[in-house]
Amino acid sequence: MIHFDTVTKVYSSQNRPALDAVSMDIDKGEFLFLVGPSGSGKSTFLRLVLKEERPSKGRIHVAGKDLQRLSNWKVPHLRRRIGCVFQDFRLLPNKNVFENVAFALEVIGKPRRFIRKVVPEVVDLVGLEGKAHRMPDELSGGEQQRVAIARAFVNRPMILLADEPTGNIDPATSIGIMKVLDRINRTGTTVVMATHDAAIVDSMRKRVVELEHGRLVRDQSRGVYGQAY
Amino acid sequence: MRAQFVLSEIWIGLRRNLTMTIAVIVTVAVSLALFGSGLLIRKQVDSMKNFWYDKIQVSVFLCVESSTDPHCKGRVPNPQQKQAIQRDLQNMPEVNKVFYESQDDAWKRFQERFANNKAFVEASSKKDMPDSFRVQLKDPKDYDVVASAVEGREGVDSVANERQVLERFFAMLNGLRDAAFLVALIQVIAAALLIGNTIRLAAYSRRRETGIMRLVGASNFYIQLPFLLEGAIAGLIGGVIASGLIVGAKQFLFDNLQSYFNFTMTLSWGAVAEVIVFSITVGVLLCSAASFLTLRRYLRV
Repeated sequence: MIHFDTVTKVYSSQNRPALDAVSMDIDKGEFLFLVGPSGSGKSTFLRLVLKEERPSKGRIHVAGKDLQRLSNWKVPHLRRRIGCVFQDFRLLPNKNVFENVAFALEVIGKPRRFIRKVVPEVVDLVGLEGKAHRMPDELSGGEQQRVAIARAFVNRPMILLADEPTGNIDPATSIGIMKVLDRINRTGTTVVMATHDAAIVDSMRKRVVELEHGRLVRDQSRGVYGQAY
Repeated sequence: MRAQFVLSEIWIGLRRNLTMTIAVIVTVAVSLALFGSGLLIRKQVDSMKNFWYDKIQVSVFLCVESSTDPHCKGRVPNPQQKQAIQRDLQNMPEVNKVFYESQDDAWKRFQERFANNKAFVEASSKKDMPDSFRVQLKDPKDYDVVASAVEGREGVDSVANERQVLERFFAMLNGLRDAAFLVALIQVIAAALLIGNTIRLAAYSRRRETGIMRLVGASNFYIQLPFLLEGAIAGLIGGVIASGLIVGAKQFLFDNLQSYFNFTMTLSWGAVAEVIVFSITVGVLLCSAASFLTLRRYLRV
């Protein structure tokens, strides 16, 4: 599903590479934690998958596409197959829950009948039954993140990228968010989650990839956060 | 493509930057009105040139008793001299026809032309009217040759080149046209910069929306379309206002000018419509282009 072949990324303003010759394969339907301290290259990894950045060296394949050969006007079609969730939710404050989720479908030109049918299903799936008409500022942080997950998932992407989705949320609520991500993973969606949250990584027992100074230092199935090695 | 969604985005965008939008519309309207007026002047000059250059005559005025020109010295040419002048003119290869206009004819024409200025007619008399030869040329460009052949000859008071008079007038109109184009150009530059600024503000205030659109895979076209149409609509409204100003210019400026100068060539409404369509098209294209160029800088997709 995602294939990195000795990928190096150097930002022009820095000498040290943000990613240094990283190779890895992520299969369809996998759940993967990307761990490591700030500045270790987790966000760069996610941006490369979205083709928001180009690698300085190496090749990336996502969903069967060679990103180097993917022309710019086809990038939006790649992004329709990838859902994204962020630490800061990124909801539109002047739209309610339903409209925020529907926005993702409206802007890719889906018909209204389809939107009316699909959005309530996804709002229920993330556990926001009966809250479709609330505004974002009437929701708790955990609920807002559920809206963001619903928006990322509503177009049934093959891959869900989550950049510290529990970073702004208390531990108790985080467990709920992880359950939602796990549910989405069970529908066959590949989930890649970058996180600092050791408790969550330890409790899920999924594949863990650790980055340090841009280098891949650990790749472990059913791993934990702070593995001694 | 969902038209309703795009339209509501445009409406929000236009309302959000209302003052800037008004500034854009006014600038575009003034610039297009000047541009259109310049085009109208050009059309007017062209049609007048076609009309007048065909009818251009060299008028050879003969001395009369009241002539003020010193070389007439109050001597009126006798019939033999007049015939000699006419014969010489007719024998020139450049000349097509020569008419003789007697003092009677000249007086009649004078009275007709100034029929609404009684005092002027009453102050003049038939004796003041010089008789003349009206020379029609095969090629209007040859007037110099003909004029110099008879100028200064005994019995000839003066030679009038209609073309020279007309050309001075056309030069004035052309100057006006160039001034209109120049100011229009400056205004166009101002309009383009204003549009650029408006679109930049709009892109900034909507960066949240456009960021999400990018993430969920909206096409570049779909993201940029509301901004582009925002510029195009401002251009269109400016163009419509400009066409009102152009119609006003035709009604109150050109038609008045024509009655003042006694032209037989009025500018047709067809020509005005042509100018209006052209101006509006220029306005819309200009604004869209300015929006597009700004978007490429401020809305990286």
